[in-house]
Amino acid sequence: MAEIRLNNLTKRWGDFVGVDDQSLHIQDEEFLVLLGPSGCGKTTTMRMIAGLEDPTAGEIWIGDRMVNDDLPKDRDVAMVFQNYGLYPHMTIFDNIAYPLKVRGTPKADIKPRVEKAAEQVELTEFLHRKPKALSGGQRQRVALARAIVRTPKVFLMDEPLSNLDAKLRVTMRAELKHLSRQLQITTVYVTHDQIEAMTLADRVAVMRHGVIQQLGTPDNIYNDPANMFVAGFIGSPAMNLINGSVQSGMFVTTGGTRLVGIGGQDRAKAVLGVRADDMEVHGAGQGDIDVSIYAFENTGESTLLTVQWGKQRVIARGDRHLRKEQGETVGIKLNPDHLYLFDPDNGDRIRLGDK
Amino acid sequence: MRDQTLKYLLVAPAVLVVFATAVWPLIESLRFSFYQGRTDRGDFPQNWLGVENYEWAFLYEPAFWNSVWVTGLYTVITVALTTLFALGLAMLLAPGGKLRSGVQTLLILPFAMSPALIGVSFRFMFNPEFGLFDAFFGVVFPPLADVSWLADPDLAFAVIVMADVWGWIPFLTLVLIGGLASVPQDTIEAAQVDGASGWRVFKDVTLPQLMPVLAVVIILKAIFSLKTFDQVFMLTNGGPGTATQTLSHYIYITSTRYGQVGYAASVAWLMVIPMMVLTYFYAKFVFKKD
Repeated sequence: MAEIRLNNLTKRWGDFVGVDDQSLHIQDEEFLVLLGPSGCGKTTTMRMIAGLEDPTAGEIWIGDRMVNDDLPKDRDVAMVFQNYGLYPHMTIFDNIAYPLKVRGTPKADIKPRVEKAAEQVELTEFLHRKPKALSGGQRQRVALARAIVRTPKVFLMDEPLSNLDAKLRVTMRAELKHLSRQLQITTVYVTHDQIEAMTLADRVAVMRHGVIQQLGTPDNIYNDPANMFVAGFIGSPAMNLINGSVQSGMFVTTGGTRLVGIGGQDRAKAVLGVRADDMEVHGAGQGDIDVSIYAFENTGESTLLTVQWGKQRVIARGDRHLRKEQGETVGIKLNPDHLYLFDPDNGDRIRLGDK
Repeated sequence: MRDQTLKYLLVAPAVLVVFATAVWPLIESLRFSFYQGRTDRGDFPQNWLGVENYEWAFLYEPAFWNSVWVTGLYTVITVALTTLFALGLAMLLAPGGKLRSGVQTLLILPFAMSPALIGVSFRFMFNPEFGLFDAFFGVVFPPLADVSWLADPDLAFAVIVMADVWGWIPFLTLVLIGGLASVPQDTIEAAQVDGASGWRVFKDVTLPQLMPVLAVVIILKAIFSLKTFDQVFMLTNGGPGTATQTLSHYIYITSTRYGQVGYAASVAWLMVIPMMVLTYFYAKFVFKKD
């Protein structure tokens, strides 16, 4: 068990910058998620921690040791790969036992430990099989068991659920969460799926273009996004970003509708961020603005209304019993406590005073 | 004309050519192997001998056993050396290897040379008076300079082995590069993180996954080594004495120089036996059902 420190870590391939001078302090026993779209540098960051990629500059510390020059085998980390990385020619037992075997664990110790790990991920009955005789979810469990069979300083997980079907992903996510609480080992988890990040993480680092955009608890990044990118990336559906301006304390849409009071100084250009859940659907004339419904979707647990908002389309979430028709006019009321303002030029958040 | 008839007509020429150049000679050679078939007597082939030709090879002909021994030794050594060198080169040249560059293209050159040409050029290089090796050793290690490589039985054998290994490394390397590229990178990385050293990653993860390709390579090379003829013919002509006489060369000499076509045919058919065994395993690996 150990904390991880990344000091001014950089990875470049020629002119391409994968990770740009990033520092990050991961606490002991913390579950940290690196979240971002593909190519944002999250996997590269993890691979540098594992030792599978050499940093161009910067330091990597695991515990009280700088590991920059250590081979992967000497870093005492365990990793779960996106494609599982199982050894196809070995049985499940041998796959799970491999980290113990290469580290010279006495034979008598190997069997009970493999069996315990297999039990934790419910694989006991498959130990004699080969990986290709297992389903995707089972293979993922083998990869997990191989990671937990030792007690490494750090777990690294590279999009471990992304190859599973949607239903299995939800089950495995819960199992992962349960397991990680049980094991209490520092974990770095890479994903592009914001739900995984929200549900699993103690803290999330949202990355883009090799730069950490925001580091915080899931609550924190959901409710207090640092910039437009984080706001748009977190949440499903994504936060609505409405173009407009601020005139004498009111947000005015590009179409000229005076929408809602937000205070602050006047701005010629501003972007208002509002989540679908913070838009109440009312009858025509009863909200802040009247809009016509572009599409009405019923997802079962709620309804989604895509509405035409001047030239933009915006998504509002309605009650699951709500029934509307395409083309109908509704009034939308914005929750004034959950509005965000951004600078459209650089994407920075404009703080709205002490509201 | 109906498609049914047409399709047979279209393949007929190819089938005829194969029959005339491969199937018919095969059948004839099998027939000759049971006859006394000498080209220096009239009415070829002469008497029906049954299995006497085969008996003769097995019981009374030391030259046959000599060529079996030479071929066997030659096959084992060339297969082992070529595979080892090719595997090493492939590791260096494979994606992620240390030497990847234009080297790969250069590599194919020796394989593009005909075996006979390799034989001639090696013969020149090993010439004790004006050969490349004479000049090389003259500078580096003079005692070796005036050795007549092709006059000493063991050295002559070593030279044909060398020529063969040199000529075959590129092809095997290219096949193995392909094999290595198909080993999933994440299994190798998983092993590294799991704690395996470079050697153990190779032994525990890379090699086992390369095994199917490696097996095909070894069998294929063994088949080609077994039937080696060109280099022997060009470099040593089986000599000195019969020190480098492979089975193919023995068959060639007995049939063309001594005119014993029936006997040579029976030896050729004896050579088919190990070939069949190897081909069986080759087919098993290549057409393996997953």
